Amino acid sequence: MLDVQHLSVAYGVTEVLRDVSFSVREGSVVALLGGNGSGKSTLLNALSGLIAPKGGSVRYLGEETAGLGAHQMVRRGVVQVPQGREVFADMSVSDNLELGAATRSNRKEIRNDMGDVFALFPVLRERRMRAAGSLSGGEQTQLSIGRALMARARLLLMDEPSVGLSPRMVDAVIEAILRLRQRGLTILLVEQNVGVAAAVAEQAHVLKDGVIAYAGQAKQLINNPEVLASYLGR
Amino acid sequence: MLMFSYLMATGITTGAFYGLVALGIVIVYKATEVVNLAHGELFMVGGMLAYTCYVIEGLPYVPSLLLAVAGAFVVGIITERVAYRSVLKHGLASVLVATIGVSFILKGIARYVWGGKGDYLSFPPLVSPEPLQFGNIMIMAQQLVVLVAALVVMAGLALFFKRTRAGKWMQATASNPKAALLCGLRIDRIYMYTFAVGAAVAGAAGVLMAPLTLLYPDVGFVLFIKGLAAAVLGGITSVPGAVVGGLLLGVIEQLAAGYVHSSVQDVVPFLVIMFALTFLPTGLFGVRGLRKI
Ligand SMILES: Nc1ncnc2c1ncn2[C@@H]1O[C@H](COP(=O)(O)OP(=O)(O)O)[C@@H](O)[C@H]1O
Ligand SMILES: [Mg+2]
Repeated sequence: MLDVQHLSVAYGVTEVLRDVSFSVREGSVVALLGGNGSGKSTLLNALSGLIAPKGGSVRYLGEETAGLGAHQMVRRGVVQVPQGREVFADMSVSDNLELGAATRSNRKEIRNDMGDVFALFPVLRERRMRAAGSLSGGEQTQLSIGRALMARARLLLMDEPSVGLSPRMVDAVIEAILRLRQRGLTILLVEQNVGVAAAVAEQAHVLKDGVIAYAGQAKQLINNPEVLASYLGR
Repeated sequence: MLMFSYLMATGITTGAFYGLVALGIVIVYKATEVVNLAHGELFMVGGMLAYTCYVIEGLPYVPSLLLAVAGAFVVGIITERVAYRSVLKHGLASVLVATIGVSFILKGIARYVWGGKGDYLSFPPLVSPEPLQFGNIMIMAQQLVVLVAALVVMAGLALFFKRTRAGKWMQATASNPKAALLCGLRIDRIYMYTFAVGAAVAGAAGVLMAPLTLLYPDVGFVLFIKGLAAAVLGGITSVPGAVVGGLLLGVIEQLAAGYVHSSVQDVVPFLVIMFALTFLPTGLFGVRGLRKI
């Protein structure tokens, strides 16, 4: 579904991604690991069209998408659940979800999809009139996932959804990802929490020094001491 | 008592109008963190366009108002193009300077198009100039028209932000531009329409106020300062704050003029700005904690 070849991304003269190649099969959950500052968010932002890559190719469903804008990627179903959740804090939960559907116009379909999101995350229905900023961290994570689903995501790019959550909420996030996978969604999951990655992902890639340093089965990779050492940055 | 009620009535009317000027400033600031220093000139352009439509061309009032507002909307789009989008990469200070540039250009154009006719253009009153009497309170009919119209525009704007998709997109972009991008919003266009809506509100204010003030190319500056004072008092990012700030400023100004000295009136906005910045850095309705980009 997604095929990234020799991707490089730079902020000014600092090259953060040098030569990144990997692919994601349709319907799979792929984990992307890497130490702090290794460029995981940068990679997701490049795939989302927030940053234009310096070089290389990104093929999504057979189409070259490197250099397209964020609105073009969202319309194609490539939707990011950003690090830190980034909900619209002063707007209501239902406004947040409707904003997720900003690229769509069929009111009836949008309403149905909102019903689906509420079925997936019932707490959002209870809180739908509340300001998003007043929700707990776990609820905000659910909201930002729900918002991405409202765009009719086909490839979900999740950036550290478990960060800052209580163990119970982390379990809820794992549960949600597994349910999304069951629905046929393809997910590229950036995680620092190896437990989460092992619980949901088949494949894993480790980003280090601007390249994919290791790739393999998620469960094996996270037990590999060499990988763990580099991943934890020690 | 009679004097007090008269001053209050006048204060509330002019205050509602200052609130309207402040609203336009706040709408643009919220989204872009820029005070459009050409805002007063957008106001002036609205009044001048209405003058052309209504007085020179003899169109009825309502179409004149709509045309003037539409004209200000377009000038707002041009302002965004010239002074924001193409300058932003050089920093916010450059944007401010560029908006000053726009303000001078608009004044120059106004002098060329509407100048040389005795300079001060008078806009005929829409309603009888006789004052109306409500019990103890005396008020000019035209002031009442301005008050009601200002309230209508404010209510319309509130509905626009609360109920329409476009309004929510603007709100979302102002509150978190990155998230707005990730929702697939084209935020560059939204900034453009934000400038345009702010300009349209300024234009509406200009048309409404024209019968009460004389029109001249420099009329925008004084009213801009008053609108800015109202906006700062209200917290610069708060829509209700702009309205309340405007009402307060209007009332304070009238009371100062009535009980202290009429010359104090024009100093009040500066005092209010200084007071607000010193003692209420977040304004009456401002939120602490700046948002991230
Ligand atoms: N907007 C930016 N401008 C300049 N440098 C940045 C920017 N965003 C991130 N970086 C740098 O790029 C590197 C990778 O950052 P990031 O992608 O956020 O890493 P990760 O998500 O893996 O923690 C870091 O060294 C960071 O300082
Ligand atoms: Mg990151």
